[in-house]
Amino acid sequence: MNFVRQFFGVLRVDLSGAAQRTGSVLTIIIGVTCAVGVLVSMLAMGIGMQRQATENVRSDRVILSSTGVRDIQSSILRDAAVSARDLPGIKKDAKGAPIVIFTSLIPIEAHRRLTGTRTFFPLMGTTANLIQYRPEIRITGGHLFQPGLHELIASNPCRRQFTGFEIGDRRSIRGIDWTIVGHFEEGHALQCVVYTDVDVLMSTFNRNTYNQVSVMLQSPAAFDTFRDALQANPTLHLEAQHEREAAVEDFKQLKGILDFASYFVGTIMAIGATLGAVNSLYAIVDARRRELGTLRAIGFGSGAVVASILCESLLFSLPGALLGGALAWVFFNGLSASPFGYNFQLAVTPSLALIGIAWALGMGLAGGLLPALRAARVPLATALRAA
Amino acid sequence: MKFLPLFWSGIWRRPGRTALIFFQVSVAFALFGMLQGMKTGVDHAAAAARADLLIVHSRLSFLAASLPAGSLDQITSVPGVELVVPVDIFGATYQKPTQGLGVVAISLVKDWPSAFTFTIAPEHLAAFQKLRTAALVRYELAEKYGWKIGDRIPLMSHTAQTDGSTDWAFDIVGTFSDSDVGSGRDNILINLAYLEEARFLGKGTIQHFNVAISDPKQAAAVSDEIDRRFANSSQETKTESLLELAQQQAQEIGDMNFLIRAIVGAALAALLFATASMMMQSIRERRVELAVLKAVGFTDRTVFLLILAEALLVCVAAGAFGLALATALLPIAGMFVVGLSMPKIVIAIGLGLAIVVALISAAVPAVQAARLNVATALANS
Repeated sequence: MNFVRQFFGVLRVDLSGAAQRTGSVLTIIIGVTCAVGVLVSMLAMGIGMQRQATENVRSDRVILSSTGVRDIQSSILRDAAVSARDLPGIKKDAKGAPIVIFTSLIPIEAHRRLTGTRTFFPLMGTTANLIQYRPEIRITGGHLFQPGLHELIASNPCRRQFTGFEIGDRRSIRGIDWTIVGHFEEGHALQCVVYTDVDVLMSTFNRNTYNQVSVMLQSPAAFDTFRDALQANPTLHLEAQHEREAAVEDFKQLKGILDFASYFVGTIMAIGATLGAVNSLYAIVDARRRELGTLRAIGFGSGAVVASILCESLLFSLPGALLGGALAWVFFNGLSASPFGYNFQLAVTPSLALIGIAWALGMGLAGGLLPALRAARVPLATALRAA
Repeated sequence: MKFLPLFWSGIWRRPGRTALIFFQVSVAFALFGMLQGMKTGVDHAAAAARADLLIVHSRLSFLAASLPAGSLDQITSVPGVELVVPVDIFGATYQKPTQGLGVVAISLVKDWPSAFTFTIAPEHLAAFQKLRTAALVRYELAEKYGWKIGDRIPLMSHTAQTDGSTDWAFDIVGTFSDSDVGSGRDNILINLAYLEEARFLGKGTIQHFNVAISDPKQAAAVSDEIDRRFANSSQETKTESLLELAQQQAQEIGDMNFLIRAIVGAALAALLFATASMMMQSIRERRVELAVLKAVGFTDRTVFLLILAEALLVCVAAGAFGLALATALLPIAGMFVVGLSMPKIVIAIGLGLAIVVALISAAVPAVQAARLNVATALANS
């Protein structure tokens, strides 16, 4: 008798036993469902965050910051910023001016609409050619800020989340009244961002350095030429990064924490579910002792017994994986979260479903091993005499 | 008590199964303890933050805007204020761009430590006040990079020195610890007078004032008075106590409440089902034994209670073990919050939940056992 036929023979006997043990089978399925559901929902935070951060990223945009430091700590002198405009590989606009913007960033306090709690939004001073650099910006109300005036434009998420961002609203910054003159949308971004004229912002805050210089390249392939030219001029003290790299670097730490927490909690849940599965499979195997004993007595090999019980365990864990993934999608996909001031929507993706299935199969395999070995080792005489 | 041996033997009838159930319950309660413990622990730690220390910062923003150091006298003159210490903060990196740390420059006025939550050994404090380029390093940070007293640490920063250089070096003269939950772990303290002299930009401005007040109950009144004095100027201030700041931070973590509840709910639901199904199976296997008990005179009620007690003992013992595990692991899971400890209320709620899980999961099997018909059970054996 060949192994395959033996395998299916044992599997059939065992599955028929399982049908009478709905309690045990349900225990496995529910345990795996919960473990996979929790893992997938938690990982959906990290994925959602990544999606949010890289949403509008383009490969032909490059971020320049001071060597070794980033964001608000980066500090670029005006001369260095102006020299950077002459580097090779930069795209020119219709008038022949390089598409380069200078930004200066200051976090400003905002208050949440619902709870009144305080968070911060970035007030970004930029040059007037902002829209050339960021064509994804769509003005949905009012108009763009005018150079030289204390005017602000706010992204729509600002208005939805915080108070004081309607068009015409005034806000006192450094004893000066600033007016909201426009609203805009940046793709599906959920982060509140406010733009204003960089020179106005810098003179208000007595700054004489920019935080960032952002450059649009002629093509993504021009990056190497651009970077080489930049490095050839060490007096600039500037470092170039693809927009994607810069975006990922920003949230890498928080994503690391979230992913660690996801796998930590997911592992604990999986251990619980595996223990439950072991118990249930023992019960199922025990209930079929006589049948398994009979099969062994008529010449079925123990290898076939082990393999078929493992296979059964995997079969029981699969519906749990699908159900868990589906529940995570139903309850958490698109849910807005804002831990530690970041805003993003949880995203349950097919790749997460695959992780969930792999996780469930792992639980099934680990849970089925001991019961399978016991089934294969049952002494024939005892098994046949039993019950 | 005379029933103790009876249900004890019931528990150990299938040691393997009991052990598995025990561990499954433990795991679920360890998870509950860690998640809920983290949330409640952070809330408790925030509630314990000091109300008698105020931070006066620019109204615009906590981090990015500065105040003139000259506001000192105006704040000192507010009634109820004991001590005002100017503080400036800048970011720096050590060796690699990813190894960031916070440099806290403190004006070393008399008794300055009383306006902070730091614990500093007297000899370290004395050394710190003596050397201009001295730095005190947070204990955890010194361990992280293996720094020792006497080391000179090179830092890179965006804050330029008068000669244009952005490299700074400080001499480590000691370590400190910080009881404030909200403070960063990777911090060093330096002398503001030295920074003021050495820096190229931002002279005469600071990031915030630490203010010690005489009566914590007056914190709100003193805060309002300070802010009132700067109202409508170009340097409007916002004054908050460490307590308020800590509560705001705790609230940010509180956004995760829904997720934590969902996880704990899923874990307990799975657990409930597993224990109930195991108990039922155990009753099925023990039909004959239970019938014999009844035949020798045990009432239905006694049998019912016997099964319930069995489940209670296993669940509560396992729950307690799981919560103990969580208490031991909490400092690791909560490594992002310094000084986190397991609140007693979480242990109490956990044990309560263990009892509930036991009662619910054993209810149906216990009723089955109570209703067992002696004649049928014995006949089928």
